[in-house]
Amino acid sequence: MNDFLFGMILSELEDAVGRENCSTQAIDRFTHSVDYFWLSRVFADRGQRMPEADFVVSPKDAKETSAILKIANYYKIPVTAWGGGGGTQGGALPVCGGIVLDTKRMNKIHDVNTDSMYIECGTGAIYKHIEWAANEKGYATMHYPSSLTCSTVGGFLAHRGIGVVSTKYGKIDDMVLKMEVVLPNGDIIETSPAPKHAAGPDLNQIFIGSEGTLGIITKAQMRIYNQPEERRFRGFLFKNMTEAFQAGKELLQKIKPSVMRLYDEAETGSIIKKIVGVEKKGAFMNVAIEGLAEIVAIEEKILLSTFAKYGAEDLGSEYGEKWWKEKITFFYPGHALDLPWMFGTMDTIAPFDKIEKIYWEMKKAIESNFPMARFIAHFSHWYEWGCMIYDRFIVENPPQDPMEALRLHNQIWNCGVRTAIANGGVVNDHHGVGIKLGRLMKEQYGPAMQVFEGLKKQLDPNGIMNPFKLGL
Amino acid sequence: MQLTQKSRETVDACRFCWMCRHICPIGNATGQERNTSRARALALSMVVRNVEDLREVIDNVYECSLCGACTRECATGWDPVQFTLEVRLQGALEGIMPEYIAKLVDRIEKKGNVFGKSQIDAELAKAIKSQSKESETLLFLGGNALYKSPKTALAAIELLKKAKIDFTVLADEPNSGSDLYFLAGAADETAEQMKKTAETLNAYKTVVVYDPHDAKVFLREYKEWKCGLKAKVKTFTSFIADLIKDGHLKPKKGSDTFTFQDPPALARDLEETAPARKILAACGKVKDFMLNGKDTVLAGDLLMNEYMPDVMALVAKNRWDQARAESVKTVITACPSEYVLLKQNKPKDIEIMSIEEAVLKCL
Repeated sequence: MNDFLFGMILSELEDAVGRENCSTQAIDRFTHSVDYFWLSRVFADRGQRMPEADFVVSPKDAKETSAILKIANYYKIPVTAWGGGGGTQGGALPVCGGIVLDTKRMNKIHDVNTDSMYIECGTGAIYKHIEWAANEKGYATMHYPSSLTCSTVGGFLAHRGIGVVSTKYGKIDDMVLKMEVVLPNGDIIETSPAPKHAAGPDLNQIFIGSEGTLGIITKAQMRIYNQPEERRFRGFLFKNMTEAFQAGKELLQKIKPSVMRLYDEAETGSIIKKIVGVEKKGAFMNVAIEGLAEIVAIEEKILLSTFAKYGAEDLGSEYGEKWWKEKITFFYPGHALDLPWMFGTMDTIAPFDKIEKIYWEMKKAIESNFPMARFIAHFSHWYEWGCMIYDRFIVENPPQDPMEALRLHNQIWNCGVRTAIANGGVVNDHHGVGIKLGRLMKEQYGPAMQVFEGLKKQLDPNGIMNPFKLGL
Repeated sequence: MQLTQKSRETVDACRFCWMCRHICPIGNATGQERNTSRARALALSMVVRNVEDLREVIDNVYECSLCGACTRECATGWDPVQFTLEVRLQGALEGIMPEYIAKLVDRIEKKGNVFGKSQIDAELAKAIKSQSKESETLLFLGGNALYKSPKTALAAIELLKKAKIDFTVLADEPNSGSDLYFLAGAADETAEQMKKTAETLNAYKTVVVYDPHDAKVFLREYKEWKCGLKAKVKTFTSFIADLIKDGHLKPKKGSDTFTFQDPPALARDLEETAPARKILAACGKVKDFMLNGKDTVLAGDLLMNEYMPDVMALVAKNRWDQARAESVKTVITACPSEYVLLKQNKPKDIEIMSIEEAVLKCL
């Protein structure tokens, strides 16, 4: 782009959002070029610059977002949405330059509606802020991921996020009632007034998880819940994971705990031993039940009798309470996996009849093809029909050269995710796809991918929205 | 760029971590990604790696209020304030301070205050003159109160008079050095100013410090840098709480409900949260903000207001929004900066008073 055209586009963007909210400064371009994706971090660590946007713009609402998208469409400039930047899949990286549209000025909390139990807010709101807004009125959002304080409402919606009490309260896509979305052509639309209807397919679910490739979600109504009268934890040690899966499945046909987390023997013997203090061998499982005290007391009895049938050792409440207290500490620097190690979380999900096999096949595939890699896992989001694996690989001495590191990183990911897909899993459970896994989307969906491609072609014919993400 | 080993480690720890984003009063006001400890650390990590020029990112270093909320939030204990201050010093040493910051430093050097003022409010000047008699106790008002908050400074003087104690206020009060420390970190000039001020303060047995910014440097940096301060330093709030406890001040407890805005310098840096609440409990009911005490949220900074007035207005507005959401009736401040900026941005339906005004009302 020549300087004159650059200046013309800049002045149009400034006109749309105000000069102070449109930047071409190094600090703004640079800080939007590195997110939580391991590869962007390793490039920055090695003193290499990641692709940067030409313009960083911060609209205050849907109207300004619309104006930006109209400009971008006219000049055919890529637009990458950026919420908190805490994504692990490179979904917010402006790999083709152009515009980064930072949503954080759209952070207004419009309504804490206790009649219908939702908060209506701009999608640039940090989730912790809407949690505070709910808490001020005596309620809670019940969305507690490790990135609660880092990430925006829009970021969780765009990547189908999940929190630790998901078994009882659901995933982010269960927590949204209605959304405002700006389409790539600048049209501002609203999804259905209520989420449960028979007025055609659910528009919410078309845009949730679309990672900014089909439009920009600018406002949302997110559910709030009563604070539980009581939340009780119970730790168990199973002899093996097979019995733990059977026990978990049976329990879920009877009651709905809020937290269910099963750790494989490797993670029980490493992270759980270090942080929570469980010294014994086996597969550790942490369960929380919550709600009205009377019901919690009954559910606890059911939990104990069900797990006893499968020979689980009852470890009491201490470990679970400790885990709850420390659940976010795990992710601070000095506690979390970090450079110089190479690491990745290949979270996938499947029905109970496939999940354990996926675990063993992925472990075998990673450890046999990449002897330098360690494989650890836990199973942290459970449903009546199945659960997810949060499986991680760790390479303690990755290549120093960033391109060599990229090659090894992608080989390990290809191997792990292809194994998951081959055994009935999916590309990802709750971190999204981004640029990290886009190439594998077609491998999972096959001809079904044309549904996404059709939507993309119709809504974004110029292909400006977050190019090369989601395999679109 | 010269950074201590500790700061280099902190920069590398913070550069990929957003865990404190939600608590930053500046980031919450601007909505800009660069106003995070993570962005500042990432940029500086690239300067350390010679990929980025410090000149290109130096402005960002002055967009931090040093309120310490990020440090308080960090479960690991990293301190982004430390590296921010070190880079400000670096900016001064390398002569690459932004022009608008250099201008403020120049004002301090030439006029003795960051606002470049030569005169204070006439009524305040009169009240100060009336307290010129030497005594064992000095009331140190500080530049923010002298030049920007005469009304509350007058109330502070009035309150001490009501307690019938002998105290002095200096007509030519020196600068505590807190402004220079904020702008240039631990520069030689900062230490020199502090040593000079310590000599003045040492003429008194007790120094009652009205502004928490000044109290913070008197109680921390003066000791750390061995500035020779021998006088006993008391914060204004702890001094007033003692006066009430000892019966020198006897406020009548009313039915008003007060919500105390903990100044970050007082609550986090000096770990003082109880005295203000004791004072207010003697005057009425106390209802805390959800984010209070060491978890307080900055409500404004007059020094930053000199170069980021729009952002400071938003910072104050955000605190008012929290007050409204929590059905607060009256916000009570103990910091001239927060008083002035909250007052300037006050909504119609919530009241604001300084803590001395609240006590005076109950006497």
